[in-house]
Amino acid sequence: MHPSYHLLVNGRRLVTIGCRVGAFLAVAIAMAAPVWAQARQPVFIGARACAECHDGKHMGDQFSIWMRTRHAKAYTSLAKPEAKQIAILSGIPVEPQESPMCLGCHATGAEAEDWEKDDAFSLKDGVQCEKCHGPGSEYADPKVMMDRKLAMSKGLVIPSLDTCRMCHLEKGSHTAVLKRPPIDIDEAIQKIAHPTPKTWKFDKLSIPPPAPAAAAADQRKVEPVSLAATGGNGTSAPKYTGSLACGTCHAGRDHGFQFSKWRASKHADAYASLSTPEGWRIAAEMGVQVDPRTSTTCLKCHSTAHREPAGGVLESFAVQEGVGCEACHGPGSGYSAEAVMKDKTAAANAGLKTVAKETCLACHANAHGKPFDYEASLKAIAHPTKIPPLIEEVRYKTPINLALRPGSTEMYVTCEAANTVIVVDTAMRRKIAEIAVGGQPQDVCFTPDGLRAFVSNRLDDTVSVIDARARKVVATIAVGDEPHGVLVDRAGKYLYVLNTSSDNVSVIDASTLQEIKILAASRSPWSLALSPDGTRVFVTNSLSRFVPFRTPAMSEVTVIDTERAAVDDRVVLPETNLLQGVAWHPSGKFALVTMLRTKNLVPMTRLTQGWTITNGLGIVWADGRVDQVLLDEPGISFPDPTDVAITPDGRFALVTSSSTDRVAVVDVAKLLAMLDAAPPEERRKIIPNHMGKSAEFLVTHIPTKNSPRGILIDPAGKTAYAANALDDSITVIDLATFQAVERIDLDGPKEITKARFGERLFNSAKITFRRQFSCHSCHPDGHIDDLTYDIESDGIGNDPVDNRTLRGILDTAPFKWAGTNPSLSRQCGARLAVFFTKVAPFTPEELSAVDYYVCTIPRPPNRYRPLGAKLTDAQRRGKMMFERTRTNDGREIPIEKRCTTCHFPPLYTDRRRHDVGTKYFLDKASEFDVPHLNNIYDSAPYLHNGMADTLEEIWTRFNPYDKHGVTNDMTKDQLNDLIEYLKTL
Amino acid sequence: MRHRAVILIVALAIPIAAWSAEPASPPPASQTQAKGLPYVYTNWKHITKADGLPNDHIFAVKADGPRVWIGTEDGLACLDKRTGEIRSWVYKDENKDGKEDTGGLPWKVVTAIDVDPKTGDVWLGLFGGGLARFSAGRFDHFHQLNSGLVSDVVYGVAIENDNVWAATTAGASRYNPKTGQWTIFTEKNAPMEEIWNYGVAYHKGKVYLAVWGSGCLEYDVATGRWKEYLDPDGEMEIDLHRDDGIIHVIVTGASPVDGALWISTYFGTCRYDGRHWRGFYAHETGLPSDFTNNVKARSADECYFAHDKGLGVVADFPTESVVAYTRDPKTLRGVAKVYQHGKHLYTVDMEKGVPHNFIIALDTDGNDTWVGTSKGLGWAIGTGYYAGVKENPEWLSKAKPAPSATASAK
Repeated sequence: MHPSYHLLVNGRRLVTIGCRVGAFLAVAIAMAAPVWAQARQPVFIGARACAECHDGKHMGDQFSIWMRTRHAKAYTSLAKPEAKQIAILSGIPVEPQESPMCLGCHATGAEAEDWEKDDAFSLKDGVQCEKCHGPGSEYADPKVMMDRKLAMSKGLVIPSLDTCRMCHLEKGSHTAVLKRPPIDIDEAIQKIAHPTPKTWKFDKLSIPPPAPAAAAADQRKVEPVSLAATGGNGTSAPKYTGSLACGTCHAGRDHGFQFSKWRASKHADAYASLSTPEGWRIAAEMGVQVDPRTSTTCLKCHSTAHREPAGGVLESFAVQEGVGCEACHGPGSGYSAEAVMKDKTAAANAGLKTVAKETCLACHANAHGKPFDYEASLKAIAHPTKIPPLIEEVRYKTPINLALRPGSTEMYVTCEAANTVIVVDTAMRRKIAEIAVGGQPQDVCFTPDGLRAFVSNRLDDTVSVIDARARKVVATIAVGDEPHGVLVDRAGKYLYVLNTSSDNVSVIDASTLQEIKILAASRSPWSLALSPDGTRVFVTNSLSRFVPFRTPAMSEVTVIDTERAAVDDRVVLPETNLLQGVAWHPSGKFALVTMLRTKNLVPMTRLTQGWTITNGLGIVWADGRVDQVLLDEPGISFPDPTDVAITPDGRFALVTSSSTDRVAVVDVAKLLAMLDAAPPEERRKIIPNHMGKSAEFLVTHIPTKNSPRGILIDPAGKTAYAANALDDSITVIDLATFQAVERIDLDGPKEITKARFGERLFNSAKITFRRQFSCHSCHPDGHIDDLTYDIESDGIGNDPVDNRTLRGILDTAPFKWAGTNPSLSRQCGARLAVFFTKVAPFTPEELSAVDYYVCTIPRPPNRYRPLGAKLTDAQRRGKMMFERTRTNDGREIPIEKRCTTCHFPPLYTDRRRHDVGTKYFLDKASEFDVPHLNNIYDSAPYLHNGMADTLEEIWTRFNPYDKHGVTNDMTKDQLNDLIEYLKTL
Repeated sequence: MRHRAVILIVALAIPIAAWSAEPASPPPASQTQAKGLPYVYTNWKHITKADGLPNDHIFAVKADGPRVWIGTEDGLACLDKRTGEIRSWVYKDENKDGKEDTGGLPWKVVTAIDVDPKTGDVWLGLFGGGLARFSAGRFDHFHQLNSGLVSDVVYGVAIENDNVWAATTAGASRYNPKTGQWTIFTEKNAPMEEIWNYGVAYHKGKVYLAVWGSGCLEYDVATGRWKEYLDPDGEMEIDLHRDDGIIHVIVTGASPVDGALWISTYFGTCRYDGRHWRGFYAHETGLPSDFTNNVKARSADECYFAHDKGLGVVADFPTESVVAYTRDPKTLRGVAKVYQHGKHLYTVDMEKGVPHNFIIALDTDGNDTWVGTSKGLGWAIGTGYYAGVKENPEWLSKAKPAPSATASAK
């Protein structure tokens, strides 16, 4: 039998822990690791369980003090409009009260699973005692608590200022929105001080039970009754359920955040206010000689259940809630069931009261000599179910890719920011329809008969299936992580979907819409093109393969045999990265792919020689040979080549440069002639780096609008269309004259917001000497390019550093691996100009806009643990490894070597520098900034210089002396579990 | 230490067992002469280093349509059956130009091969080098340091749906390339008294692990439950009670097919049909040896065993037809001996047979059979192949009757 104990409040059982401990033991027994040293996992019991002993003068009114702090309202504060603004600014696409990132600091136990929380615990109680003192089930027993050493051995944490800093280090998002200085922790600590009196004694407040209703007058002893047992109605007078029970439904935007509004009101502080000197003074004036919290006279108006007699209270009720919902609306056990509440008459019959002026006056009329303005007060506590909608953020279209519907004049355009596909009539050259699809649509393709379209939704990991005649989504297919390119084979049999984050290709049966297999791509498969004979698909991969440390990138074109729907070949383009656009020549002899040649191994001082990032085309021959040519010219580069299309006659190739707003026209015959004329050695070594060669085959450049991405040419070969991502338009190009002849407006917002302005700057090469690259070049779509750079600021040849993602970066200051840049404005300001772009820095307005945009780059949902999902068994075991305090043989792990010391939620970084034993011989320093771990699975390689290709290598290869946490005692299965958990953060 | 004790017990028990087993020892299933004889491979090709293999020590062979993948002690090879062309890949550090080739074979010794039927990717077990995926010319390397693989000493590999299983010396690993998750099966979460896994096979929702000292373990993919096939006689190297279970717990291979599970051990081989066990000993059947390195079944009635002394084939289970292929160490010619009910009936002398008598790898391939030996790969070409038995087969014209049709098989 498992030991269990009950905390008693007012003589009734409040907390039952035994079953929780039993659940833990089951998990612990199942664990591979010896767990004798940590046989009982503490669980969260909630602040009201602490209140049992920690309230009243004898204990310094600790609970009541907490109730009146902002900590107790931390969850509630997430309902404010400012919280939503902060979330948007942090790239958090969900409501703050549903975001693990926000709840990580605005609630207690946000990362805990249900089994780690007692029934009486509620997340809605905000930052509770256990947020700082640790989950309390094992030390809450008074016998344990009276022996501090013993209590600490059972999980009691005596917090330090560092504990506060876990959440209270300045967060850029909060500072920007709230426009107030960061919290002075030394000062703030005084505000929440709740010292235990030197003359403390173990005692409990004798809170009188609420008066019973006449109908239940014989029921002197109030027994806890569960809702389940009574069906919510009880057998006698209705009972008080407590406001937390009301909050189960009356929360969230759809219910006007009613619970949060109450909790933020003074009503919720009514009980705690009795503990104040003012409370005592008034009580004394009223002749109350005892602690006001124990006086029925006071509690009648400072608590919910003491004014109006009822059938008792349910287990979910606590007197400490102050004046809760039921104080005005009547005891709720009879009407709280959803079905009853939805029927006004039934609810009224079951006891739901209509609140009138008299309801308020019962307590507020002449209360303590204070005037009462009913109307003003009602306004102050107003909690309508329907609240005004948020001011709709400006939503742009951001067209990314386009496809012509076979047999029609319709062109489908995926609009990333609008979550739609816009249908353009190419004959009329205007938008004719807009179809809502999933989040961040990227690419679109059609079945050969043109009846269905498939759209990849990068944010949702899905493909929308559109009935092209009805212009309606008729199905949604789950695919891999962050799908991008889509293509249907010639027979219409298979749909290929490129999953950029999971590095594979989903092969979908186009008729049943079932995924039939997954093919291994290289890294970040991006776009794909079908050969003219329909037998092969070329797939570009945006990121380089993993290569040995400090060796050049090498990127892959994955070749799929459409007959077998299997990978047939893998063509490597040496020293390239960001292979994105791809188009087959109609001869079927070769395909062109867009590419970057990033010289990341040489110091960035070479920028002034025009040779840091070069840009061009790869020629991938059908037999697997490869050539490379640059589209750059000596005076001006052609950065961020994104997509390519070839005219049906094979004479010209059109390539978009998304950061110089141009389309390059390549004379294919001249290009081939130039290659043919060159000796093999020159083709292999010279031409790929020769910026003068483009003059031999470049016909012209056609200006477009902002950031052209996808480009296509109509089957007649007369017109080309380029999708201007940051202009919400399509540029129409006449191929006879190579002139941009028209701009098709996709009907996006006309105003340019700060974020949009910043996005344009981020995607513009105007910021760079000779327009060599944009921010996007190294941070494609705000993420990573998988490369390690030698940045000049720390000296040439020193401190190579891995590129880090910008997703969710705002609140992780300081920046750089050295942790020396305190803000994004410092990171992107003059420093950027001096060491990266070599031109005049951003103006203050530009800098502010870029920073703002960078902050809003959305973090994709965690693929390994969807919101609210339980951990898998392996993840759960991994969590225990992550949080462990003892080694497998029972030795205590020093605090500084525990995972959670530096990687604590919600960001999983302490935002400091530490020496974890990873200093490389090229490094000058040994301490590095602690990276955040959110979505860590999608930003390989790892460590400050990208030495570790996989998460495993961080510990198997680069932690020989346990300096990066104590891990060497772990068994292989424990390490596997740990990694499974890390992927959920 | 424990095994020494077992051996002692076995030694003491042998006389008792022999005595007690005798009355229970059943006669062969049928003493009636079958109406027909099994197929005998008489057309053999030898493929060796001279033909382009990296090494003659063949550790793994896997047929994949027109291609045959060959794992050797010194690299990987692929034979195109249509053209006879052999491509090979050697360990990346040993390329001729002396430069590290990041796309090369990541380890020398290839001990296991399986091909994903959906993707065509070839998964390689590397003896000391972990696991590799060979996909359209690219090797992806998974080992103890960069992945969740439990041990780098991999003996077996098998594709199960979207997962890849690896049998290693420290347990079995399961990898899901789709999710990136690695799962380890050892004594902690599987009935694995010993964790030295020799082989792994997948068939119809079940994964079979051949474990040194823990018999054959069956894992139900749908339920995650395990089932053990152990030797009811414990670790005794004889069968106290015939056909009561697996022959011995030192299992080297398992080959499930058509409702039958064929198993090889160091002390004999056996077959399980879901209800009945049947053991095969060399002295009773004509198989070349009891010491069996591997097994590959073609059907519920036909199975190939890789022995230390030749290739043993239960060619037709219902008629207890066995063919033993060996190489005459003196003449280097091939020999096939045909048995029924343990009686040696015919001997076929061939210019070529198995390339060597020490055999460690097998695969069946349509009518053909591939035999990996310590002196090259044998390609048994199944011209005119037939399953079961047939009267007056073609090979009979080349065969000599056994000296005495009544002589015991030896």
